[in-house]
Amino acid sequence: MGEWLLILLILAPVAFGLLAWAAPGDRSRGWAVTVGALATIALSLVFAVTAKTGESWISLADLFGGRTEWLAFGLELLIAIVVAVIAVRVRSRLILALALVQIGLAVAEEWFSLRAAPALPGADFRIDTLAIVMVSIVSIIGSIIAIYALGYMKHHQAHAPATAQGSGRFFFVLVGFLGMMNGLVLADNLRWLTIFWEATTLCSFALIGHDGTPESRKNARLALLINSFGGVAMMLGSLLALSGSGVEHLSGITAANRALIPLAFLALAAFTKSAQLPFQSWLLGAMVAPTPVSALLHSATMVKAGVYLILRLAPGFTGSRVMFAIALAGAFSFAAAAALAVGQSNAKKVLAYSTISNLGLIIACAGINTPLAYATAMMLLLFHAIVKALLFLCVGTIEQKIGSRDIEDMGVVMFELPVTTLMALVGMASMLTPPFGMLVCKWMAIESAIASPLILLFLILGSALTLFFWAKWLGRIQTVSYHATLTREKLPLSILSAEYILGGGVVLTAIMGIPLFQILFAPLAVQTYQGIVISAESLSILDSVGGLDICLIMLFIALAAIANMLTGRYFKPERVRLPFLSGENVVTDARTFRFRGLKDEPDEAWTTALYLDTVFTETKITQWTNWLAILVLLTMFALVVGI
Amino acid sequence: MWSDWETISAFISQACPGLLTVIMVLAAPLVGALLMGIDRKITARIQGRIGPPILQPVYDVFKLFAKEPLFLNRLYIFYAWLYLAFMILVVVLLAMGQDILMVLFVHAFATIALILGAMSVRSPYSRIGASRKIMQMVAYEPILILFVVGIYLSTPHPHSFLASAVMQLKQPLLFTLPLLLPAYFAAVVIKMEKSPFDVSSGHHAHQELIRGVTIEYSGPFLALIEIAHFYEVFILFLIMAMFWSTNLWIGAGIALAGFFAQILVDNASPRLTTFWMIRFMWAGPMLLALCNIIWLYGMGRG
Repeated sequence: MGEWLLILLILAPVAFGLLAWAAPGDRSRGWAVTVGALATIALSLVFAVTAKTGESWISLADLFGGRTEWLAFGLELLIAIVVAVIAVRVRSRLILALALVQIGLAVAEEWFSLRAAPALPGADFRIDTLAIVMVSIVSIIGSIIAIYALGYMKHHQAHAPATAQGSGRFFFVLVGFLGMMNGLVLADNLRWLTIFWEATTLCSFALIGHDGTPESRKNARLALLINSFGGVAMMLGSLLALSGSGVEHLSGITAANRALIPLAFLALAAFTKSAQLPFQSWLLGAMVAPTPVSALLHSATMVKAGVYLILRLAPGFTGSRVMFAIALAGAFSFAAAAALAVGQSNAKKVLAYSTISNLGLIIACAGINTPLAYATAMMLLLFHAIVKALLFLCVGTIEQKIGSRDIEDMGVVMFELPVTTLMALVGMASMLTPPFGMLVCKWMAIESAIASPLILLFLILGSALTLFFWAKWLGRIQTVSYHATLTREKLPLSILSAEYILGGGVVLTAIMGIPLFQILFAPLAVQTYQGIVISAESLSILDSVGGLDICLIMLFIALAAIANMLTGRYFKPERVRLPFLSGENVVTDARTFRFRGLKDEPDEAWTTALYLDTVFTETKITQWTNWLAILVLLTMFALVVGI
Repeated sequence: MWSDWETISAFISQACPGLLTVIMVLAAPLVGALLMGIDRKITARIQGRIGPPILQPVYDVFKLFAKEPLFLNRLYIFYAWLYLAFMILVVVLLAMGQDILMVLFVHAFATIALILGAMSVRSPYSRIGASRKIMQMVAYEPILILFVVGIYLSTPHPHSFLASAVMQLKQPLLFTLPLLLPAYFAAVVIKMEKSPFDVSSGHHAHQELIRGVTIEYSGPFLALIEIAHFYEVFILFLIMAMFWSTNLWIGAGIALAGFFAQILVDNASPRLTTFWMIRFMWAGPMLLALCNIIWLYGMGRG
């Protein structure tokens, strides 16, 4: 049954996406998307529950008989040809060149595999705990975003430029994306991995370019270019694995005695997909797309493919210097992207840089490559997916309401959109405050990084900068004057329910952080590193996480909340005062924040947070950090060839 | 025999489990208030004034509680409570001998609560103060994390982050972390809002920022902030005393010396800009801390 579920997980989203495309009206499309989303969630749950413990392998040849390799080869070629056609249509010589290289590599790989049977036989798909966790994240969070998109797109299409594509195609790609992503995390055969890898690239190209404006077309092209480069790296990696060590499976690469060269190429592909420095520009450009697309790219799909691949490969290379270079690249991205976020007041840009930064942290943990670091990376991946989805959805709602994505304009949202703002507050607070999961992760990350001081230093500097940009934003959106009651928010059901579910998810992971670690992630890490030589200390440190008293922190927050409620009886309108403006407040019936300035002219009291744009200038930092990141990547390749 | 922590804590917890935590939670604000009173007295004497009674901070708190509660919005009052709750939690976690990295995070969040409280009101002075407070955190937080890492590396194999492990050290921390003491001291000067780093919340009403972060708190709500500050003073110097954990008297001596030194620094230096502070902290104390850590790795403690 597992095998059919697996195929359904890949194909059902695509089928429902097709239904949504074919649907004649908004209503029927809404049904198709909702049913498709719920079905995907249900499928992933059934899949997780019924899966056998340990690993199981599935080959298409066993299911259908005959030579399914031809199917894989055909699909691989087809996707490369589609990329080439797109390249011609968007008139990009570079993308065309990359597509042609991909076609060449696909043919070369086929020729190699026909010439000699692979040394290590294997299956097309692998089901294990990592894959199940990934499938659940993709299917559940991705589906919630798809449901949110129903409410969002109604508003968006009403104001969209005339060049925008239809809603039908949008939902087809959006929902189908989940199927491709599921395939990606389940594939073990490098050829199938490449197919899904490239399919997600095409999906993101279509979604980023949805509005059809010159800017969105340009950014979609950039995303296609960078990710096609990643695709070439991946195909080159698989070709080298096949020609060098005779393996054509991910499991083979980790098993084949130190297949370092394919590892380096696959890591390069992962870096492009996860938008690590110096490949970050495509993810920043992606924010021109409608918000659900950003939410999907940043949380459940696309960028998670890269970190998944690193996580999949890492345990096979413990103690390797290449893994150290990967960890270094991740830690560097963590700190550099945080520095880049400090200077930004564009909300979506801050979110994008914070995604890059967090993914860097995940890659750093994966690269550190101990059981604790591995479990940390998995937890970070889960929390980040939930929080980023929530934050993007909230920012999208706020943007539609106030018509701006500038952080400094968000001083009014607490009053006008209390629910959305509260959810955004929870999301942001979870990025840096106890007792939320992210902080536990940071705690574990520092504990794991202690053996590699250079990585530790980047983590410490990055943490300080992370605090900087989140605190500024938190401070702005929670700004509120005294109101007896707040506005009641009128939002479509799909938007509200998505926000509530994800917000609840964030709180739940805060409460369940440690148990989740003990029940799911610690055993996952132990199981992953089974049979690999590691020190006993690195296993015993897993237990120290249980010593963290999250309940105590919760208790004190609850105490503060209770005390605050008890002081509630003092909160009477007649006790409300205006802020101190040197005694020059303009006093009227309404509460204003104006003061008597020059010639007694009333003036608005207004301050913005620090952005330090002379220090944290985006162009300047990007230039420097990109060169440094390239240097780190070159170091990785130098280590591979043994310089 | 009463000079080492282990004996005392063992004695107290034998008498009644949890009693130590209760004692520390109750004693902390008193010690903190006393230290602040002494601080004000000495500063006054340096400046040629008589100064307030030593217990003035305590009288101030009682007076504040008697005042009418005025406020701007509901949210920032909640943050005042959070600030206090997390400061107490730090003391509780330390008394229980918990993980010091977590203690550091909880302590950082107490400050973040203060920042967020200041940022939730539409008051320019408090917002500018909050922005500068963030800069202060950026300046000292890396040093504190490095300090924690240094403590971890100082514990015998297998290393431990537990505060209780620090108390069982056979050798004073100062021997392994000599350079981290001045670095930590610089962080304490910032945390105590002393010149030259008192950029976010001035003690003197004539400053351009008036009172900075806490300007909009008044009456009983300001009292909460004050009590939390007592706790913080206690925590900062308790941690300084941990540099010589094998003998409490010497540890207390180090903490007291640090306490007097920061009063001197406060009175001897002008107030400098926020950026000067960041540059100084990341160039000076941070480098000291890093050197110390690298040295520990060099000694094969990694």
